[in-house]
Amino acid sequence: MRDRSAGCPRNAWYALAASAEVGSTPFGTRALDTPVVLFRVSDGSVVALGDRDAHRPYPLSLGHVDGDTIVSGYSGFAYDRTGACVRVPSQAQVPYGARVPSYPVREEGDLVWVWLGEPSLAERRPPVPVPWLTDASWETFGGQWETAAGVGLLHDNFGDITHVAVVDPVISPPVLAGVAPALEVELTETTVHFHRDWPAAPLPEWQAKISGASATASYPQREEGAFLAPGLWADRWDVVIPAEEGGTQTFRFTHAVTPVDDRHTRHIWRVSRNFAPGAEASDMLRPIFESYYLKVREILETMQQVIDRDGYGEDVNVAADLAALQVRKILRRLVADEG
Amino acid sequence: MTTQPIVREFEADLTVVAAVEAATDVVALTLAAEDGAALPPWTPGAHIDLVLGEDLVRQYSLCGNPADTRQYRVGVLRAPDSRGGSKAVHAELREGATVRVRGPRNHFPMVASPRYLFIAGGIGITPMLPMIAEAEASGADWRLVYGGRSRASMAFVDELAAYGDKVTLLPQDEAGFPDLDGLLGEAAPDTLVYTCGPTGLLDAVEDRCAASWPAGSLHLERFSAKAPASDEEDSAFELVLQRSGLTLQVPADQSIYEVCKAAGVSVVGSCLEGVCGTCETEVIDGDVDHRDSILNDEEKESNEFMMICVSRCRGDQLTLDL
Repeated sequence: MRDRSAGCPRNAWYALAASAEVGSTPFGTRALDTPVVLFRVSDGSVVALGDRDAHRPYPLSLGHVDGDTIVSGYSGFAYDRTGACVRVPSQAQVPYGARVPSYPVREEGDLVWVWLGEPSLAERRPPVPVPWLTDASWETFGGQWETAAGVGLLHDNFGDITHVAVVDPVISPPVLAGVAPALEVELTETTVHFHRDWPAAPLPEWQAKISGASATASYPQREEGAFLAPGLWADRWDVVIPAEEGGTQTFRFTHAVTPVDDRHTRHIWRVSRNFAPGAEASDMLRPIFESYYLKVREILETMQQVIDRDGYGEDVNVAADLAALQVRKILRRLVADEG
Repeated sequence: MTTQPIVREFEADLTVVAAVEAATDVVALTLAAEDGAALPPWTPGAHIDLVLGEDLVRQYSLCGNPADTRQYRVGVLRAPDSRGGSKAVHAELREGATVRVRGPRNHFPMVASPRYLFIAGGIGITPMLPMIAEAEASGADWRLVYGGRSRASMAFVDELAAYGDKVTLLPQDEAGFPDLDGLLGEAAPDTLVYTCGPTGLLDAVEDRCAASWPAGSLHLERFSAKAPASDEEDSAFELVLQRSGLTLQVPADQSIYEVCKAAGVSVVGSCLEGVCGTCETEVIDGDVDHRDSILNDEEKESNEFMMICVSRCRGDQLTLDL
């Protein structure tokens, strides 16, 4: 039987943490089965090193940051931002060649992106800009957690949102309950965009409430999804409201997905909007979205358990899976390119 | 009512921000969005379509820097036997002109390897430029053998000068043809061979690699369709589109691509002669009669994918993931 899992490319930027999580206290995490420690040095930039002391199998994240170095909490070995050991307590000479791996890092959209693949390619494949996550004209909230499911299941999920009405009728815009209009998919070598133009329909109750828009009037709505990189989805939902009634309301949903190992994924989600600014509206929206994303997490974890127990099946695909299948094709190719 | 999804490739009108003579009869075009917006990312080996007119679509390899997300660069040879494509590019695409671009897509991807042998003929140098830059950056051990009619006809020689003796230039009027027996007579360990150029060169490289190199060592890209290997007559067959839940009849005188289009199933295609790879489709069941110039023998035998613009079915029924 054909392998239906797409795998995870190493040559990609993955968000290992939110910027706010990384300071002068070491932050230990894992991605692509690799232990990584993140910390900030004196110029404010983030350093990513292999999270294992070169001397003994002890995580550097259990040590401390001293100036521009990180010091092992067991051996006392100190490493600079390039991963080179620069100081050992027991002798004046640093052991020749003592070092830990270091990884390229970029901060973009208040997220810390790390490149764990071929280092020379990092410069040549810049991370995708996500300006709305930091732009003042967008109000953003979000959350993050680990999902006990392989990243492929998360990609499949974001590749088609027609399940939303089934999974969570509260969050689901009423129009999703009807027949889905044609899915339009746009491909490039490494990205997949898709959209559907939904007919005019009322807003979900909660959206009318926070935005002051009419709860009964019908407005055309547009759904967009975009697989922009192996570690990034950027989706949006537009409700086209005439300017005199307040103008188009747009949600942007950003999902940074990082494979921890082949059955665990770090999921950092952000919900941005260009309407109803302010903490009060965010406080009302957060539980609605959090509850939906938690339901998705639970479902994907159940799917992973089914796969663990019974293996990959020959899943039946439907027309709406077109985008998800194109994403798998891209991922398979990127993995194949790594040799 | 069920609605079939519509699939297409990214398309945009781009502006020619520079048109530079890169060699005799070769123009290097730099393309960008009018508003300077970011263009879709790509990796070495990728190409784009230039839509030059109705029924006049041509593929050109991207030969700039993938890290520059605002610009694409292509090199276009004015082919003496041009069917109109390269002539239109040379005549019309001056600085400031607008051209419709589709893609990018990549059927010549660069696979990681400690060693590479690049063999380029003429304008086939274009996809090699970003590959070489990447090979050099990663510290791979690589060599380029680049042949052309004459020194003046060989594009991007100035850019290659920085690589010193890793590059061998072979202007035919000074140095003759590349010594393929010397280069490829024996398989080199852990080495991938990438080649692009005129059909004669590619066929010769293919023959030598088939004779003595491990399967999967050779990666090549053709500009035009390979001479058909099978002279089998086209026959009719039944086509099952699993995802759409449709069964269609493909008559002997129509392609799968045409039959899908006529039935309202959205499929993407570009060159429609088995060269560009746009219409690659997953095969679920059936014996495919591969007639494209993209898949290698291994890929053809795996029966996993096919190009539905030219390839057909040997048996009575073919099931595709559409």
